[in-house]
Amino acid sequence: MLQLDAVSKRFGDKLVADRLSLQLAEGEVLALLGPSGGGKSTLLKMIAGLEPLDSGRILFAGQDLAAVPVEQRGFALMFQDFALFPHLDVLGNVCFGLRERGMARPAAQQQARACLQQMGLAGMEARKVWTLSGGEQQRVALARALVTAPRLLLLDEPFSSLDADLRRQLQLEFRQQLQRQHMPAILVTHDREEAFALADRVAVLKDGRIVQCASPAQLLAAPATPWLARFIGYENVLEDGVVPEQALCLGADQPLAQVQGIIQLADGVRVTVASLEGPLTLTLSARELARYGGNLQVGGTLAVGIDRSAMLRYASA
Amino acid sequence: MQLFKTTTLLAALLAASLVNAAELRVLTHSSFAVSKPLLAEFEKQNGVKLSIIKAGDAGEMVNKLILTRANPIADVVYGIDNTLIGKAAAADVLLPMTDKGAAVSLPGAVSIDYGYVTLNYDKAWFAKKQLPLPKTLDDLTRPAYKDLLVVENPATSSPGLAFLLSTISAMGETKAMAFWGKLRDNGVKVSKGWTEAYYTDFSRNGGARPIVVSYATSPAAEVFYSKEKLTASPTGNLLLPGAVFQQVEGAALVKGGKEAALARKFVEFLRSDAVQKDIPTTMWMYPVQPGIALDPVFQHAEKPTAHTTPDSRQIAAKTTAWVGKWTRIVLKSGQ
Amino acid sequence: MTERRRTLVLALLPLAFLLLMSILPLLRLLQEGQGQFSLGLLADSYLQWRIVWSLLQAAASCVAALLVGLPLAWCLARYRFAGRSLTLRLLMLPFVMPTLVAGMGVLALFGPQGLLGINLQDTPWLLLYGNLFFNLPLVIRAACEGLSQVPASRIAAARTLGATSWRVFWRVEWPAVRPWLWSALCLVFLYCFSGFGLALLLGGQRYATVEVEIYQLVAYELNLADAGALALLMLLVTGAMATLYAWLERRLASPLKVDPLPPRPPQGAQWLHLLAALAVLLLFGGLPLLAVLWRAMQALWLLGPTVLADEDVRLAVYNSARFSALAVLLAAGLGCLHALAARTSLALRALAFLPFIVSPVCLAFGLLLLYPQWTASLALLLATYALLAYPFVARSLAGALDSLPPHWPQAARSLGASPLHTFTRVLWPLLQPAFRRGLAFAAATALGEFAVTLFLSRPEWLTLTTLIYQRLGRPGPDNAALAMLLSAVLMLLALLAFVAIEWPSATERQLEKES
Repeated sequence: MLQLDAVSKRFGDKLVADRLSLQLAEGEVLALLGPSGGGKSTLLKMIAGLEPLDSGRILFAGQDLAAVPVEQRGFALMFQDFALFPHLDVLGNVCFGLRERGMARPAAQQQARACLQQMGLAGMEARKVWTLSGGEQQRVALARALVTAPRLLLLDEPFSSLDADLRRQLQLEFRQQLQRQHMPAILVTHDREEAFALADRVAVLKDGRIVQCASPAQLLAAPATPWLARFIGYENVLEDGVVPEQALCLGADQPLAQVQGIIQLADGVRVTVASLEGPLTLTLSARELARYGGNLQVGGTLAVGIDRSAMLRYASA
Repeated sequence: MQLFKTTTLLAALLAASLVNAAELRVLTHSSFAVSKPLLAEFEKQNGVKLSIIKAGDAGEMVNKLILTRANPIADVVYGIDNTLIGKAAAADVLLPMTDKGAAVSLPGAVSIDYGYVTLNYDKAWFAKKQLPLPKTLDDLTRPAYKDLLVVENPATSSPGLAFLLSTISAMGETKAMAFWGKLRDNGVKVSKGWTEAYYTDFSRNGGARPIVVSYATSPAAEVFYSKEKLTASPTGNLLLPGAVFQQVEGAALVKGGKEAALARKFVEFLRSDAVQKDIPTTMWMYPVQPGIALDPVFQHAEKPTAHTTPDSRQIAAKTTAWVGKWTRIVLKSGQ
Repeated sequence: MTERRRTLVLALLPLAFLLLMSILPLLRLLQEGQGQFSLGLLADSYLQWRIVWSLLQAAASCVAALLVGLPLAWCLARYRFAGRSLTLRLLMLPFVMPTLVAGMGVLALFGPQGLLGINLQDTPWLLLYGNLFFNLPLVIRAACEGLSQVPASRIAAARTLGATSWRVFWRVEWPAVRPWLWSALCLVFLYCFSGFGLALLLGGQRYATVEVEIYQLVAYELNLADAGALALLMLLVTGAMATLYAWLERRLASPLKVDPLPPRPPQGAQWLHLLAALAVLLLFGGLPLLAVLWRAMQALWLLGPTVLADEDVRLAVYNSARFSALAVLLAAGLGCLHALAARTSLALRALAFLPFIVSPVCLAFGLLLLYPQWTASLALLLATYALLAYPFVARSLAGALDSLPPHWPQAARSLGASPLHTFTRVLWPLLQPAFRRGLAFAAATALGEFAVTLFLSRPEWLTLTTLIYQRLGRPGPDNAALAMLLSAVLMLLALLAFVAIEWPSATERQLEKES
């Protein structure tokens, strides 16, 4: 469907995309995951046609998009701040794209109403956009993007301005919407939970390059680099692999490591130790604590080892 | 569409206002007040539209004429006087004209009217304070007459300049400037122009100064414009030696102007009996044409028998320097 | 087309206009002085006094505006009371008032035979009071703006850390308000230093400013050499001030969105503070206008309403309306082009200040000298009006363009809107309030202009301002009364412009709050 072919882009001395290539299959949801300020949004804007490329090509359904202006690409871009038009009401915002694509006003309004209904926004047509709550604004923005039935949906941190509970709820709805419409989408986020929850595949970006592009499960099972392993949330990252919790062994036969910090959790403790392999962090449940902990205290020791067979090895990127 | 219509309408208005009919452009000072029926009569007889351009004070008017000499804004000018004619001649903005049969003359132009700039006083004020009238200009520098006089700034006002010139003519430059220094110390007030001095600062009109630099005809005008019937003027002339200036106003053709024939006719018209008879009670000047009967109200105006007026060449040569000195003495820092 | 080239094409017309209408005339005026300026001019104690006084009165106005304005702004920003938002809106009023109206108002109050029985003529106070009328609101608005940039949480934090409300002001609010005040004071200095109309009307013979001196040198003494030298000196000072202002303003360019402290109803002694503040505001901002109205009513009683149907008055109202409309039309086009071009060029942005800082007197004489064949031509008069009016449109639009989030047009494009549609359906509706505001300021400028009109006008182009000035210079109480009445008419016309500015729809009000 969409293909990025050795795309490069530089802002001053900052490299946003460095001969970056990427493919998106039909109906696929891809997350671009990377640290904040890494140029992910710029990449999205380049796909949308809002930023010119320095070099490389972007193709959609085999067509080079270089000469296709933004409005004719048929992609919808949803912004982090939603960019709802303040001079239009909810219905006006949702109608905007339909009217721009030449639909007559009554038909556009009818379709927009239907879409709003589907998004659970029935009755809000005449509301001014600034009177909406954050969640409502997000849904209006999504409706505005979806109602035009874009060939590709581009989302820039669509949930980052919402609080945690609302975010989880809307993410679920969003996932269902996309699956129902079988719409391809690219989602930019710095939140790994969001990327894993929503995307079929996740591309992790660093310094304008894709470090790894794989399904969430593959990514977790075999991260490409120590940096990436840390970035997606692993704590015990060693030179030769990642030590997941299940690869840590406790018991008297294990080497002793000095305890450096203890944090009390609701159902156990979190302990940081200095082992021969390097610093390790592990979570002990109440039961494990009773069994192996002894008189656990900072400066004391804990017997802990690594089961090398259970370690995750780095995938060759 | 609405915007388009509005634009068209405005453009049409603009175009309409740029088109002018055939006309004679007359430049005057802002006191020009020949009666409208007389002007209408002239327009009718000569088939021309008069465009009267009032260019402020006479001094401003001449400066405007000089600045626009490349493409004159008028064809004929009225109101140029003996304080300004030299400057206009030096800048070569007028067509020299000769003049016959006038009571007083103006070199290079046709004289139209004349009058006297002098001191006026508020009779009621002096009666109430039982203060004797000053006998000489030097009296005005004495403590008894402190804070009583208002004059116009000679840099911005014709009567102000005329009064300064008369003092210089009478005393000589050095003594006159010393006199003005003493006047300043004695609290002379300086106003921008005659209107401000006469209508706001003169005690007769609610101000605080009972002596003002004005015209010798002003007492007659007081009677003429008074709402009640007056048998005597509430103000009087103070014809002190060295404080009377004879001002002669005239008209001339502007060099590079159009409609020269009509312009000449207009100058003749200003000297016609009808206009000459109109001048005294509209502009409060004396007509230069001999044998014109004055309105009876002029009995309240005392026509001075002597005056101290420098000749116009001297005025042209020295005015700038004199006014500059005066400004630095009277309006100088810290005051 | 590259960005640079697009900027150049857009800027071409405004640049040519600026060159022909202000830069060349000024150069011509300087040339007329034949480059005879010498610093010897500055050794003259009389001119020294004029220059010192010009600087002094501007500085004194700044200090007074700061001392009076800051407490007023604090009261307005922090206390809630009935009519608060109306008061804040009315603060805009002096901006649209012609100097002639303000001058007449001040004279009606404190002039000879003033309503208050105190004659301040020939004292420095008259001009300072007039300066405060125009500039106090500027400082108050800036300080209010600054205070609204202080997050409520920051004040709360200071209070919990043990600061009294006085200490909170010094240590938290004042540092935040300071940059806003400096930039406002820059403008105050600029306006007071280069103002012509007020100084001419209120300065009298002894407290006139350099600008008035230039006018007298040119108009009465035809001393172009000295006038040119003084004009150059003025330009140096105002240019430096304008640069400083542009620099300060840029530092304010992107205020963060914060939750300011909501105003609270005053309690106990705070009522006294508030009432005192409102009384002071009325004294400086409202009284001169009320005096004009009062005197105009008296004049109407004296002259009868038929005087308004007088031929001259009708002509003046008609011309004022006609010229202002045409000037605004020109200003709209030039302003749009300049604003769009200035988006990417700081130099162009600074150039929009040029018509503000050049002396209108010098400008008018420069024009007379440069285009003698066009003197007394309506086209030149209108072009000059447009020159003085268009920076308001340009600056207002440029500001709105700056504060427009780029996401809006981008969202429109990605939803299928062509560049043209993006402009007409999204950008224009969002810019329109700023555009209208700029137009209203432009209209008020054209309506109130009289410095240039004094030089370039002709009798048949009598406008309200020239008619007022003419009648002021004519003898008799009737003329004075008519001048006052016409000032009130002019004031009402300016008020119309004000209503157009400060009557935004609910959407705009919200947008203002958001941005």
